[in-house]
Amino acid sequence: MRDLFKGELLRFRGWAIAGAVLHLLVLGFLARVVDLAQQPLLVYRVFGGVYVLAGLLLGLYQMGSYRRPNTWLNLLHRPLPGWRIAASLLGAGAVLLAVAAALPVLLIAGYQAGMTARVVDLRHWLFPLAALLIATCGYLAGAYCMLGGRRHSTCALVFLVLLAVSQAIGPRVLIVQALALLWLAAMVLVAFKPDLSAPPRSLAATVITALPLQMGVYLLALLLGFGMEMLWIMQGTHPNNMSVPPPGGHNETERMTAQQRMLAGLAVSRAPQAPLWREQVALSEVQPIGSQLAATPVRNELTHAAAAQMEFDDDELRVRWVFSHDRMRFEGYRLTDGRRFGELGVGTDDAAFPAPAQAAGSLPALPRGDGALIAGNTLYHYVSASHQALPRIRLPASEILAGVTPVGESLVVLSDRALYFFDGRDAAAGDALLSPRQRLPIPGRSGDLRDIDLIELVDGYLVSFSFTTYAHELTGVAPYQSVLWLDDSGHVTEVAHRAIGYDYPALYRYKAWWPSPALYALRVAALGLFAVVDPLDVTAPPPIPRRVQLFAGALMLLSLLAAIWLCRRRALSTPARLAWLLACAVVGLPALASLWLLYPAGEYATYRRRLRPATA
Amino acid sequence: MTEPTPSEYVIQTEALCKRYGAKLALDHLDLRIASGRIHAIVGANGAGKSTLFRILLGFLPPSSGRASILGRDSQHLTPTDRGRIGFVNEEHTLPNWMRVAAVTAMQRHHYPRWDQRAFDEVIGHYHVLPEQKVGQLSRGERAGFNLALTLAQRPELLVLDEPTLGLDVVAKRAFLESLLYSNAAGQCTVIYCSHQMEEVERVADNLIILERGHLMNMSAPDDFCARVMHWVADIPFAGPAPASVPGLLQVQRIDGLHHYLVLDQDEDFADFLKASGARSVQSMPVSLDRAVNGFLAKNHAVPAAA
Repeated sequence: MRDLFKGELLRFRGWAIAGAVLHLLVLGFLARVVDLAQQPLLVYRVFGGVYVLAGLLLGLYQMGSYRRPNTWLNLLHRPLPGWRIAASLLGAGAVLLAVAAALPVLLIAGYQAGMTARVVDLRHWLFPLAALLIATCGYLAGAYCMLGGRRHSTCALVFLVLLAVSQAIGPRVLIVQALALLWLAAMVLVAFKPDLSAPPRSLAATVITALPLQMGVYLLALLLGFGMEMLWIMQGTHPNNMSVPPPGGHNETERMTAQQRMLAGLAVSRAPQAPLWREQVALSEVQPIGSQLAATPVRNELTHAAAAQMEFDDDELRVRWVFSHDRMRFEGYRLTDGRRFGELGVGTDDAAFPAPAQAAGSLPALPRGDGALIAGNTLYHYVSASHQALPRIRLPASEILAGVTPVGESLVVLSDRALYFFDGRDAAAGDALLSPRQRLPIPGRSGDLRDIDLIELVDGYLVSFSFTTYAHELTGVAPYQSVLWLDDSGHVTEVAHRAIGYDYPALYRYKAWWPSPALYALRVAALGLFAVVDPLDVTAPPPIPRRVQLFAGALMLLSLLAAIWLCRRRALSTPARLAWLLACAVVGLPALASLWLLYPAGEYATYRRRLRPATA
Repeated sequence: MTEPTPSEYVIQTEALCKRYGAKLALDHLDLRIASGRIHAIVGANGAGKSTLFRILLGFLPPSSGRASILGRDSQHLTPTDRGRIGFVNEEHTLPNWMRVAAVTAMQRHHYPRWDQRAFDEVIGHYHVLPEQKVGQLSRGERAGFNLALTLAQRPELLVLDEPTLGLDVVAKRAFLESLLYSNAAGQCTVIYCSHQMEEVERVADNLIILERGHLMNMSAPDDFCARVMHWVADIPFAGPAPASVPGLLQVQRIDGLHHYLVLDQDEDFADFLKASGARSVQSMPVSLDRAVNGFLAKNHAVPAAA
């Protein structure tokens, strides 16, 4: 076993060393130009993609060279159990990838930590391990693509898709990667047998192979739907790219100006002041209210969707402040010479921020160099002169502060649950915490909310909320618009509620669900494994329409009937046949497709069919 | 001599079939190969030899029937069983990137009954250096190295699947000599599959002929040769219709003489030729090469228009 392992290391050592050197050169060059620890998610995705590709190519090449009939026989025909031979080859592959993919990342992390003033947190030291896990997953997927049955072996790529779309956060991402790796390793071990064309025999081996295969078929169906949507777009009748969107639909609302949207909402209002408000809206500026957070940051997350917000430059001091998850403070280094400048915490004693902090731009009337920082439920004023962060706005602890928008002399603060109105003059003067004048609860869920439009009245505010973000798919609420009047005394009245139409039929919106409700549930569970729910992304999906449920049920019944027909033509034991029938009834078409792919038509059946005309 | 008991058969198949689509590679093959000696398996391309070996080693499932090797169902071979069976294929697939010494060490560690003397004995026929990479060896050296590795495993059954394919005359002779004069080879049952009749004639104690997945012959090579006879007849006009010639394998007309290669015909065949108008007849034995080629050519497919 050790000899096979060593032999395999020897075989690819040149490639591994060359790959490691090239990788180190690329990382070294980039590290001189940018801070590799503070890159946007896209950059890490590109690197992850390269690691997966490198592993995939290694797996394809290595196992491709062994799967030739005589070579395979020579490899496996020896007094060693197959799993030990497989472990030798796969272990060597993993070591080679550790050298080529993980070691350079570790060296660069060491360089940044030891030779620069840049922030290197504990989470960054996990990058080499993540690189190794990702590359090894690619490697195992490549190995399975070569060793698995030709009709279904590409299903291993499902796990690479999982790595790309998993919503797990922080070090727990590594657990998802490790689980994917273990499953892929089990798939390769199942396939690692003398007769490569034989389907899996035991129940465990069948489940290990069939489940990713079914998910692969499910994803293929989604991909097919996506392809058809592209054709729809090319045709020019897709609601998203029609020059005039369907009337009354969510696309129309989304394409309106803030003023048009407010007027559309008020058009259905029965409030006595509605005609007056409509005149006022037509003459005044309607202010859109936005969010400064792309996603709520989570402590120790490996990557962040808007990494650029985790650092900001003080142009007066010529200092770059970078948030450290370990210290929960900003660490500063001089832009002139790269030397460490100091630490930025809360208040005069530089206390730790209660949540990961992000730069939120500037605010009106703040001195040059000053800015706003958001951390959890609090907005801080960064004071350049004293390089301090002072809390100015604090929302209730259960809310997330998502953005600040100046409106006239007021500051409108958006949280995941409400709008808060502060006096902007107070913000410019003094360092004390501000108290909100009014609070306006959001009439819906934050994830569904796409547009907030506001107009200042003489006796308060008129605010329009449009909930259309996910109207094109099953996770979003049925689209609607709500217009609220907030008067000076803080009293809230809904003055208009407009139901917005769907632009897509129900089958389109539920296209991820009806091909297989069971696999959709599995997909949601897999993506949400070790994930933290972002309060800004919570939605309120309506119940699944009955006709969509009936359609999905009909497909499952069809799968069951087809499976009964197919099982009679395949050499399966009675328990296996019953298990497959159950799977087809529960999982639906993807299970039927996996049954067909895993068990090709028997030789006898083929022969009998061909002979029939001659014997007739 | 008594008939071997089932446990004394190293290879046993019962109604073994292997089908690729509509084509039968093995057609209800019943084969029993007794332990000991060198058994040659010959057959035209597509006769099912390699398919048979792949099924016997558990790398292909049979379509129907049973196959056992060293008393074990071929589909359930254990690692220990594999250690008792040596296999050499025509490509001599060895890791090109490894050095000879490293490959030798690996095999030594894998095979508990490793016999260094047997290895040295065979490798001594070749100029192979331990520090050489396998990829640098000539085809002949590679074949010899592979044979040395396999014999050093001290297998109870050694399967050689066209081991001299592509070797030049010198390399072929070196390979055969290292096989024949090896003590290790003498201690195991050898299955030798080849298209080279001079090799088969030289090494085989038992000749097995497969044709289109059927067992056509199993006997000593000399016995098979004795079944095939070459008759030359001087027939002034057209000879008898080929379909009427008993046991006909091949017929040729050369310089006005009819040459018949026939199977299982005694002196009565002379009377048949004379009755067909022959003025003179003469019979002579044939070499194994001619006998097997004639036998295999008999049923060789020809275009429908021929």
